[in-house]
Amino acid sequence: MKDKSHILVVDDEPNVLVTYRLILQQQGYEVSAAISSGEAREALSEKEIDLLLCDLSLEKQKNGFDVIDFAHDKSPHMPTVLLTGYATPEANDHARKLGIPVLFKPIDIKELLETISGLLKENYERHEAAG
Amino acid sequence: MHVRSDTPDVTGRNRRSALRLLGMERSEEIFPVLLEEIVALGHPRALVAKVDFETSEITPVASLNCPKNLVQRFRSSLFAVETPLVRILHSQQPELVRSRARRASSFYYYPLIYRNRTACWEADRARGRKCIAVENFHSRLRLQLQEQVCGICDMRAYAAVVVVEVSPNASAAEIAGLRSLIELANRYLSRLFKVEHYHNRMVDMETIITQMQTVMESMTDPVILTDPQHRVITQNKAAERYFRLPEDVSEGRVRAVELNNLLFSAALSSMAVSGSDSSRDMTLVDAIEGDEVLFEAVSAPSFAPDGRRTGMVSVLRDVTDLRRADDELRANYDKLRQAEEVVRQDRDRLNLVIENVGDPIVVCDRDAKVALLDPRAQELFGSEQGRTALNIRNQATLDAYITQFTYSFSDRESAPIQLTHPETHQEVEYDARSGKIYDERGLVAYTVTVLRDLTAVRRLEQLKMERRMLEMEKFAVAGRLAGTIAHEVNNPMEAIKNCIFLLTDKMEPEATPVYEILKAETERVARIVRQMLGLYRNTEQVGNFDVNSVVEDTLLLFTRQLERAGIRVEKELGTLPPALGSADQIRQVLSNLVVNAKDSMSQGGALRVRSRLVRKDDLREVIRIVVADSGCGISQNMLHSMFEPFVTTKGERGTGLGLWIVKGIIENHGGKLRVRSTLGKGTVFAIELPAVQ
Repeated sequence: MKDKSHILVVDDEPNVLVTYRLILQQQGYEVSAAISSGEAREALSEKEIDLLLCDLSLEKQKNGFDVIDFAHDKSPHMPTVLLTGYATPEANDHARKLGIPVLFKPIDIKELLETISGLLKENYERHEAAG
Repeated sequence: MHVRSDTPDVTGRNRRSALRLLGMERSEEIFPVLLEEIVALGHPRALVAKVDFETSEITPVASLNCPKNLVQRFRSSLFAVETPLVRILHSQQPELVRSRARRASSFYYYPLIYRNRTACWEADRARGRKCIAVENFHSRLRLQLQEQVCGICDMRAYAAVVVVEVSPNASAAEIAGLRSLIELANRYLSRLFKVEHYHNRMVDMETIITQMQTVMESMTDPVILTDPQHRVITQNKAAERYFRLPEDVSEGRVRAVELNNLLFSAALSSMAVSGSDSSRDMTLVDAIEGDEVLFEAVSAPSFAPDGRRTGMVSVLRDVTDLRRADDELRANYDKLRQAEEVVRQDRDRLNLVIENVGDPIVVCDRDAKVALLDPRAQELFGSEQGRTALNIRNQATLDAYITQFTYSFSDRESAPIQLTHPETHQEVEYDARSGKIYDERGLVAYTVTVLRDLTAVRRLEQLKMERRMLEMEKFAVAGRLAGTIAHEVNNPMEAIKNCIFLLTDKMEPEATPVYEILKAETERVARIVRQMLGLYRNTEQVGNFDVNSVVEDTLLLFTRQLERAGIRVEKELGTLPPALGSADQIRQVLSNLVVNAKDSMSQGGALRVRSRLVRKDDLREVIRIVVADSGCGISQNMLHSMFEPFVTTKGERGTGLGLWIVKGIIENHGGKLRVRSTLGKGTVFAIELPAVQ
């Protein structure tokens, strides 16, 4: 078990991406930031990511679910939080089916941090249980 | 000795006989004395045979020295005209019948018949009338015995024959003496008969008077007989009560009786004067009871047999009750006429109403049989004049409905029924509204059904729905625009917000107030953006949706927040048909209401969410959703303005858009929003959405 959990933040807005990284780093997490689905896939392939924080709307062709699918292909139990400005009911349903919490922008930072730490704790406990 | 047939000789022996006969005071004494005197004249035997007019038999009634067989010989009948007895009676001529046999006896026959030289007093008074006694006296014709009836008093005269056996060698003088004796006897007999006749007449009259008095007394109405001067001759007991002074006279009674008499004679006088009136009303005072009684006096003049007017007979009829009954009858009649008038007006009005209702009306009896159809209903169901197959089919549909209604327990009912329009041949939906009319025993007398053509209503509903959809669409467009803007604002805002978070605790002390303002205002912008995004997010699809699952979703979304705020959720969801509209918009509505409820219960409490199907008075079905909290409540002022945009009680934390959006969405859905609130107790929001029928 590493000292710090590694969080991958994916958002197409550079300033948003930067501020999330800063906030999460401030909270003591190791943070990788990806501004596109491509970068995200790259990071997921190369690094050992503990939690995925992903914006729903990315490029025209790809959205957050592509990134999430990719991540889960690699690591099925990877804790994930979907961030979004708005979500269609379908997207909402889809996220619920995948068991992914959805946080609506503007995001309440306190809620975000609670969600993250909760998910990480859950994941850690599952690992422990699995041995 | 000179003998005249009409003036009997009354000398010598005859004189003695005449005196003896004259001494007789009764007619029945005449015959025995006559027979004795005949025998005293030296004739061996004699008898009298009398005619019984009832039976026409002639029977011996008295005989002297006659053996039985002889008496039997003179028993005869008026029809035995060949016998000397009957011949003598008819001819009225005495006859000496000598026997042809040598030793046989001869008989002298003498007819006795009622006759007088002068008419009786009664006949005298009734001038011009014939007196049978006088007629018999003068008649020389054959006597018609059947006509021996008095024209004055209807009395039968008597007729008899004296039969005397005389010696074959009796002299003419002897026969003449015999004849004059018998004639004398007949004269006395006639006289006595007349007297007895008067006596009988008197007895008869007494009987009649008694009878009349009984009749008069038995009459409960006063009856008064007055003389031509209107003085009372006689009156019955009922009349005495009013017209006769009682024994124990009191002042009041005397006055009453005097007044009554005065009134009565005045009435009589006026009737006599006018001549035409035979009845007259008058009010008399009962001398005993003191009551005023209304009488109708009916008077008729009375006449003597000779046509002389003897006075008046008046019968007073107590018409107090009669008049009262009459008045009541008249009043009742008037009332009846008025009632009839009212009924007629009602009927006219009803007809007018029926004609102007414009909808078919069907009246059925207690057996659900059609009693009345208005012209419009006749178009649908046909009339006596004729029925088409369509009419019959419609009738069957209606019958099924009416029968069910008639035997149901409900007083009124309303149901949709499908009938075929006779002209367009199209199925038309009618709203059948029925009511029962009960009779006085509380049984169904009639049912009345009004059929309302729902085509227009349905078309209107369709139009309304389309307009609503359009409104919703417009709202959605506005929402999308707002959403787009919000979305564009959202990302920069996200960055700003994150920056502010990163600057926490890093500010110079003098910059802290400015930082706080920056933080608060940014949060406010964030809330507005969130609200606007919600609008956008939730204006996606319009269609049928399940309200209950929207409620469940919304509550699920807030579960954690509500738990944290110490709020207990009670939910009670009924079975519902689908609603038409945007599920997302309704989710937005519920979210806003739940958030408001949560905010109003800072100390925790209960949030109750209920849904159920409600049938409105006009039979529309609506889905009612109630969101109730036990929070701080809303002040009266606020209740009026809280649906306006940018009105908030939450200060910095609120946008003032929540309830405005709620109201807009509900109205766009053709629904209703009501709120009830008590300060310190809580608030209840009730939403009604039209259900899909």
